[in-house]
This record gives sequence, structure tokens and C-alpha cells, in this order.
Amino acid sequence: MNRTVAGISVVLGLSMGIYPASAHHSTTMFDHSKVVSITGTVKEVHWTNPHVAIFVYGTVAGGGEATMWLMEMTSPGNLIRSGGWTRTAVRPGDKVTVDFSPLRDGKKGGALKKITLVDTGKSYTADIRAQERANLEEEPPAKPEQ
Amino acid sequence: MRYLALLALISVCAWAGEPEKEKPVVNPAPTAQDWANLAKLPDWSGVWNPKITDQDAQARTNMPPWNAKAAAFVAHQLAEEKAGRPPPLFVNCLPEAMPSWMLVTHNAMEILFTPGRVTMLGESDGNRLRRIYTDGRPHPADPDPTFHGHSIGHWEGDALVVDTVGVVPQAYIAISEAAGVPNNGDMHIKERIYLASKDVLNVELEIIAPKVLSKPWKTTRIYFRQRARKFDIVEGVCLEGYFKEGADKDGNAIYIPVQHAVGGNRVPPE
Repeated sequence: MNRTVAGISVVLGLSMGIYPASAHHSTTMFDHSKVVSITGTVKEVHWTNPHVAIFVYGTVAGGGEATMWLMEMTSPGNLIRSGGWTRTAVRPGDKVTVDFSPLRDGKKGGALKKITLVDTGKSYTADIRAQERANLEEEPPAKPEQ
Repeated sequence: MRYLALLALISVCAWAGEPEKEKPVVNPAPTAQDWANLAKLPDWSGVWNPKITDQDAQARTNMPPWNAKAAAFVAHQLAEEKAGRPPPLFVNCLPEAMPSWMLVTHNAMEILFTPGRVTMLGESDGNRLRRIYTDGRPHPADPDPTFHGHSIGHWEGDALVVDTVGVVPQAYIAISEAAGVPNNGDMHIKERIYLASKDVLNVELEIIAPKVLSKPWKTTRIYFRQRARKFDIVEGVCLEGYFKEGADKDGNAIYIPVQHAVGGNRVPPE
């Protein structure tokens, strides 16, 4: 997000009753029944608690104009564990393809499901429910617990 | 001489009239035996991450026995969430607080034993911390309300039994991150925490909240032990999300405010 876009967002935000807020929230503002794909370039990575965000300038699969998209996901800690991320896994300038569930209100935002680096093919996911077993780094037990 | 005698008399009278000072309560220094006794406790080391799918399931199958007013409130919240407008319960970076921290957290915690105390430290919420006193003290007669309340505990075999009062009335009893009711005061929480198997921790909760529940509510929450180093708890300052990294006109590294929408996400491009 460049300075102009940021400025516009702030102005729009104030005029629409948007206020600074963050933290733990439901994600049903995203339509999880849909998965949309965009290909483009990473512009910003906000590697911050409680939710990491990535801004991608790209084009939706199937055509259309390139535009800026905001991808939201879980916390840095949870991404490291459940999705194999690191702080520098995705960096500004990287060419990426992102699969995401879009905002229901039509704004250019989504819940990231998977991001793939075009140059290396390496991909990362963001599913916090993918870590529901004890001792995840060990071999799965013959009989799963609970 | 007469003055001195008068002064002495006044001093004696003042001393006699002074109320007896309350003896301060002092936490004794732990002994070598106190430290050695910790080794007899069950091993709860490692990092514990919650079974979120069970939280999801219980939001459907184990609804708290809300009173009529609270039930209507929650029904509205659930309808809003289903419609894609999730109510923003925890979007102000205040602690999720007790009992919601145990009920709906999506983040890991660790549990530390020291003489006379069990400490729970959670990730991704800068102020997520529970001190459970196991030194035999009672609750204060009139505890100052706090987000996590005043907790005392004792061991029954390998189970830690915890009793918590003094939680702020604003603290939600939440069934998800989008549905819950402030306890409104006088809440009492009983917990029984134990290893259900080698690497699974169960937290049985009984929540007594006469202002919003028609009877006590029981639920069990499940945590998985992780020992891989990548699961070590990392710093998680919630307020970080208000900002992004940047620089001022002099090139100093600073945090730049970022606007968020009501639902808790950053404001997306139009």
C-alpha cells in the first residue's frame, strides 16, 4: 500500500465509522465457501500480532485489471507452526499466486489459504486448525489421541 | 523539667491510644524442600495448543444455560455472524480474560510451576497471564476485580483444582470469537486441570454466573502438548496490529498507525 492508498484508506475509514481495532475475531466476513486466486507482486508484509497481513498487487485468475489486495491471516506464531512460515518467507517484490476466500462485501480483501512463490514453487498455508495433535514434529501415533 | 514531664506524659498517652498495627502478611522464602517437592508434580512442561475444532463443535453442541436475556443476545450474535457480520467481541486488544481465554483461545500457552504458585502464560495477547496461588491462601474478602480474577489452587492427586473469583464484570463468557455475553459480575469459576493422556491436557470448567446463566455451566477444553522448538511461545503484543513498520523524516525506525475495520481486519483497498 503506497502512501496515497494509505491516506485514502484513512479518510474513507474515518468517514465510514471505521476505527483502529485488531485482535481476536471471527472470520465470517470472508466467504469461506469460495476460493479466488490472484497472481501478482507482494507490496507489503505486516509480520505483526495478532494477525499477519500481506498486500499483493495482482490480477484475479480469469482476467481483469491489476489492483491492490489485502490478505489477512493468523498470528506469526501460529503461521510458523501450522504453515511452515518464517518472518522472511514472503517478502516485498516476490511474485506470488495467492488462493484466498474473499470478503463478502466486495472490497479487495481476503483470508489467505495458500500463497505460492512463483520463482521457487514454495508454498505456505495458514490453517490454525491444522495443528491438532500432540508432538506434531514426531511420527504420528498409530492410534490418534482424542 | 516540668515541660519534660508533660512531654513524656503526652507521649505515653499517644502510644496507648494508637491502634494496634495489623501484622503484614509475608510470603515466606521457598525452602530447598519446596523446590524438591515440585519434582513430584505431574509433568506439564512444553507448549500447549488448543483443540480449536472442539471449541467450534461445542459452540453448537454445548450451549451455556443462558438466562432469557442472554440467550436472545447470543441468538442475535450468531445470526449476525452467519450473515457475515461477526460481532467484534475481542477486537480492542484488552485481554480475552477469564473464562474466555480458556474457552475460545486460538493460541498456545505454557504452564510454570514454582513453590506456592502455578503460572499460565499465553501467546499472542500481551497481557495473557494467570497466577494461581497454591500456597494455601484464601481469596481476599473483597478482591479488586481483574481480567483474570483471583485464583487459588490445590492438588488432588495429579489434578490441579482451581477456584477463581474477582473477575471484571465486563469479561465475556464466550462460546466463540463472535458470540458471548459479559458475565456482569459475581462470577465464580471452578477448574480441574489434568493430563487426560501423556500429551493431552484437559481443563474441566464449571462457570457460575448468576447474572447471565440460569444454572452453572460445565465444559471441558482440550490442549495438545508440543515439544518441538518451533512451538516455543513467542512474544505476541496485541497492539502491534495497530501499526506497521516505517521510518520518520529523519530515517528513524518508527511504527506507523494502520486503520482497521470494525470486524478487526485492516481496512482493505476499495
